[in-house]
Amino acid sequence: MIIDSHTHVDEVEAWGWFDPPEVLLPLLDEAGINQAVIMPYRDAIGPDDPATAYLLDAIARYPDRLIGYVRLNAEAPGALAALDKALGQDGLKGLKLHTVSYVGFPYGENTVRLMRRAAQYHAPVLFHSGDEPLALPQELAEAARLCPETTVIFAHMGGYYHCQAAIKAAQELSNVLLDTSAMPYPEMIRQAVETIGPERVLFGSDGPGCVPALEIEKVRLAGLTPDDEALVLGCNIKRILDEVRHDL
Amino acid sequence: MIFDFRVFLGHSFDGVQQTATGLLKTMDSLNIDMALACPFKPLSYNLDLANSDLSTAIKPHSDRLLGAARVDPWQPDAVDTLRRGLETHGLRALYLNPWEENFRADSSQLDPLLAIAEAHRVPVLIASGYPWVSEALQVRALVQRWPRVPVIMTNGGQFNISGLGQADARLALDQTPNLYIDTAGVYRQDFIEETVEMFGAERVLFGSGAPYFDQRYEIKRVLLAQVDEAARAAMGAGNAHHLLGVTD
Repeated sequence: MIIDSHTHVDEVEAWGWFDPPEVLLPLLDEAGINQAVIMPYRDAIGPDDPATAYLLDAIARYPDRLIGYVRLNAEAPGALAALDKALGQDGLKGLKLHTVSYVGFPYGENTVRLMRRAAQYHAPVLFHSGDEPLALPQELAEAARLCPETTVIFAHMGGYYHCQAAIKAAQELSNVLLDTSAMPYPEMIRQAVETIGPERVLFGSDGPGCVPALEIEKVRLAGLTPDDEALVLGCNIKRILDEVRHDL
Repeated sequence: MIFDFRVFLGHSFDGVQQTATGLLKTMDSLNIDMALACPFKPLSYNLDLANSDLSTAIKPHSDRLLGAARVDPWQPDAVDTLRRGLETHGLRALYLNPWEENFRADSSQLDPLLAIAEAHRVPVLIASGYPWVSEALQVRALVQRWPRVPVIMTNGGQFNISGLGQADARLALDQTPNLYIDTAGVYRQDFIEETVEMFGAERVLFGSGAPYFDQRYEIKRVLLAQVDEAARAAMGAGNAHHLLGVTD
């Protein structure tokens, strides 16, 4: 069972990214991926945001294949209500935060507030991480340190030049997990598994822009044991998602 | 036929190293026929010596390995270093690294070097996507001054795992027909496909950046790209042959 823990469905004309679920699903099939966690490219600002509506429509059409994370602008006044609706009523399974996109400090009050609320639902929080300010692993670690009860996932494992910083943060903070998406180093996946354990590394593709079949190849080139590879490719994210509750 | 347009040989100041024997062994396992090798920046910071050592290392493998002369434009003898690289050591391209040699890609200090490249009809590789020194539009400024010199932006002209460097890279490609990209580590593999669609496959070259990037993984960006076989052949080897004057 392979579950891709990080993919996108959305259509954003301004960026030229048109990725309805019908673009993603054939790529999942080609890669032998059973299910995928999807999230929009846009940050929702309230409970009835079109980005979340687009996400929910995709899941309604492909409920056996797609699992959703709400993506929010934590600085928006409606963010907390949107999170409650998404996790409590809409059946979504996690929260995606892209602090560069909404220009917020990861350890800022509004972001931390959402992280703590997500923890009440036992829902994971997936942060974009990378080489740019507002998304540096060191900054995300500060947020994770403020919310030890929250399961925090660093997408892209720190990007191009901050993979080791991401691994170090996860080594220091037991609530931090790393996803393998988009960053280009099979060796860093192996190092992460060896350093923080195979239970805390998640396969994610960042598809459909990043090709899921290629992203799986990256995990396979890491040379993990079959048991560890199975954890990374699906068992870990399944364990996390199975714990999500939809009432407080 | 596969040609890797950017690998490194020697010993780098940062501890990374690669030998010709080791490189060729990996290339054999991946069915990569030829490669263009660039010197690492050695601990001595002496690029003239690094070019000479590179020439010596590739000479026994001249049917498979070609070399690029690396030059630091800050050095008073930069022009002589390039001339020696091309005329004495038989190197076939100019490699510039604004990040490690600490200069801006649009610096006028590069003009004497580009003049030599133009006179010798050799392509110029420039390590691109590095903040402050070699973002795509900084490279564009250089390329606009030298319209008859083929310039290859490494890494698709971007090191940004949010995709925020893509628009600038496209703008640079659109405005400078003598600008090319290599494929190493490019965020969102569909950027490669879109570049082929928008500007033609002749503007894209497979370059792995090994050993900083994993050659086993990087070759798959080209092999798995959703392009027709003619485009794949151009990216995989044809464009490299054309730019370096290699005949099949």
